[in-house]
Amino acid sequence: MTDLPIGKIVKSNSHIDYVCQVFGQGETLHPPVPSAYGFGSFVAVELETAGEPDRALVGLVYNTLLMNPEFGALGPRLSPRSEVEIFSPDYLAETATLLGVIAIGWLDGVGQVHQGVPAAVATVNCLVRRLERTELLTFHADGTGQPQLRYTPLLLAHNHALVAPLLLAVIDQLGELFPLSRSRLTVMRNNIAWKSIVQPAG
Amino acid sequence: MNSLPVQPIGTVKGPGETPNDYLLIAPDPERRVKHGEFVYYLALIEGETREILGRVTGRRPVRLLPDSFLADPGVPPATVAALLGYESEATELFEITVRVLGFHSAEMGDFINPRVPPMGGAPVFIATDALLGQVLNRRPQGGRGSAFLGSLLSRPEGAVPIALDVRGFTGTHLAVIASTGSGKSYLAGVLLEELLMPHNRAAILVVDPHGEYSTLQEMMNLGEFSEGNYKPRVRIFRPDQLRVRIDSLTVGDLRYLLPNLSEKMHYQLGRAFNFAQRSARNGHYTLEQLLYAVRQSAESKKESEGFDEDDPTTGALVWRLQSALGHSQIFHDFENLELEALFKPGQCTILQLNEIDRRDQQVIVATLLRRVYQARMDTAKGKLDRGDPSHLPYPVFCLLEEAHNYAPANADAVSSEVLKTILSEGRKFGVGIGLITQRPGKLDSDVLSQCMTQCIMRITNPIDQNRIAESIESVGRDLLQELPNLSKGQVVVSGASVNTPVLIKVRRRITPHGGQDLDAPAEWLQWFAQDRAAEQARAQALFVEKKIQYEDDGDVLWA
Repeated sequence: MTDLPIGKIVKSNSHIDYVCQVFGQGETLHPPVPSAYGFGSFVAVELETAGEPDRALVGLVYNTLLMNPEFGALGPRLSPRSEVEIFSPDYLAETATLLGVIAIGWLDGVGQVHQGVPAAVATVNCLVRRLERTELLTFHADGTGQPQLRYTPLLLAHNHALVAPLLLAVIDQLGELFPLSRSRLTVMRNNIAWKSIVQPAG
Repeated sequence: MNSLPVQPIGTVKGPGETPNDYLLIAPDPERRVKHGEFVYYLALIEGETREILGRVTGRRPVRLLPDSFLADPGVPPATVAALLGYESEATELFEITVRVLGFHSAEMGDFINPRVPPMGGAPVFIATDALLGQVLNRRPQGGRGSAFLGSLLSRPEGAVPIALDVRGFTGTHLAVIASTGSGKSYLAGVLLEELLMPHNRAAILVVDPHGEYSTLQEMMNLGEFSEGNYKPRVRIFRPDQLRVRIDSLTVGDLRYLLPNLSEKMHYQLGRAFNFAQRSARNGHYTLEQLLYAVRQSAESKKESEGFDEDDPTTGALVWRLQSALGHSQIFHDFENLELEALFKPGQCTILQLNEIDRRDQQVIVATLLRRVYQARMDTAKGKLDRGDPSHLPYPVFCLLEEAHNYAPANADAVSSEVLKTILSEGRKFGVGIGLITQRPGKLDSDVLSQCMTQCIMRITNPIDQNRIAESIESVGRDLLQELPNLSKGQVVVSGASVNTPVLIKVRRRITPHGGQDLDAPAEWLQWFAQDRAAEQARAQALFVEKKIQYEDDGDVLWA
């Protein structure tokens, strides 16, 4: 069973850098819990499939942002919150949790997985769901069953403060998925940890 | 091919600075990749997977914990890293430089360099003890022609025994170079023990200016050295037993022994020498006959047809010959050290030259080496019969302690010439020379460079180090840098008797070591324990009244 959608694409900053708005109360029957879209979560952005070769983009949550128009309005309210829900429900919908999702691969129409910059583009309102464990395994396994992290250069080139912790989080997840290949993942983890933790501190 | 060790020690990074170097990256948390350690990678050579052996020559850190993590000596830097979230133990990485030796070819008995660096990313392994034992030694330990010197320094003692090829150093000569107290006499003792083992049974002469080698006599009683009917023999010639027959001296020797000769004396000595040789029966002549020849060859004699004792040149020459040869115990009219007594297979002859004047020592060595060389040449060419005292039908090996006295640099010694001749030509006739010196800087560089096997121990003097670097090509610069840091009993062996230069810890001697330093504090303390008590007793003793006998007239008869 596929995971329920956690949100929808609302904006993009670049070809691979999308903004997903998490479904809030009233938008879906089962609003997602925060752990479903935590930092370092793998997600699938379902594409419009009519006539398109690719089915979904695979993305990684690298950032979150909270939208709250009420922030800064420090004056007294005439209507209490319970009344606002009745008289101006659209106002409530203006608070939102936004996710920064970086596209790191795609699933094609025949079920093959690919790592790297996808050719396809997600459109506004494309649904975003969490990637299942089996999909995660398939996405990261190469032809011989060994883990692959070919999107690492893509992440490293993405100039963002959270890239190093993101990679560490990804490698830790893969360590659980590929216990037999932990040694090679450890080399990569140590390398990133050294450059991001030890070197800056020295 | 040998079985592989499970874990590689590092990974090839790429080629090094020279075509024979490559670099590898190793975390080496157990500190196994030491300087001088042997490592190998695998390569396909002519369809066969070969172990390409190399020696570690350099080590440079490429990743270290930041200095600021080391601020508190009580806090290990790894815990600081762990505090920040870096919890791995892999905190260090090293770039190791390896000098390629090549793969060992059993047919060639040597290493063959593949002449191409390894592929980047190839795993590198520490060579196993078994592999090293097999490829570093030309001969198996205890086999015929092997001299087991000790074990490889970078491995636990006894793990990789190193045996020198006796054929290598007895043929193309040996040099033992070490500063005082680094164990060169000990090493020479080990070598001599090995040469007299039942599997070698060498004919050796040791020139021992300090009388250190007499303890070798114990070999005759030890079971390790005997096999079947064989038992080694050690003969010691003490200074008072040494003899050099006067007619075995050359005119060069005579000129060297006689001080301050004028040009005229030189000339007359040459004439007298020729005269003595011509007129001698069977080539033998005595000092008296030589003096007669001096008088006969005086220039003034031609004119006056009679002896002219007043001729100053003749008088001076006669006086000099008398004082140099006539009053010496060593130079003798009839007796000589017979070669057949000095050299026999399975016999080590020790010539103790202590208490003998330096110049006399040089003449003794020069005459002896000249006779040995001549005897070997004549025997090889079939000029001598079996009964001839100079008949030497087997190769010999002569070990010279304090060799810088016999072939000094920048100075003239009568033994230099014959040493150089033997070092360059002796190989053909089976005369091997082993030189032991503590001052290679004082040794003639031609002499040193002719020794094709070198055992070099701790050398700290920069002049001596430079001389070694100039004269000995087979020792790499990396090993020369090790020389000041070697401990007692550690030796770099290179050259013709080993497949590649190796660092060895010398084995224990079977016989006791005779060249130990005097323990002065112990002797002083012993004086207090024994002699002082006796002296005090003497000092405190009461005088004994002596009975004095008087003559009748009161004079003292005796007391």
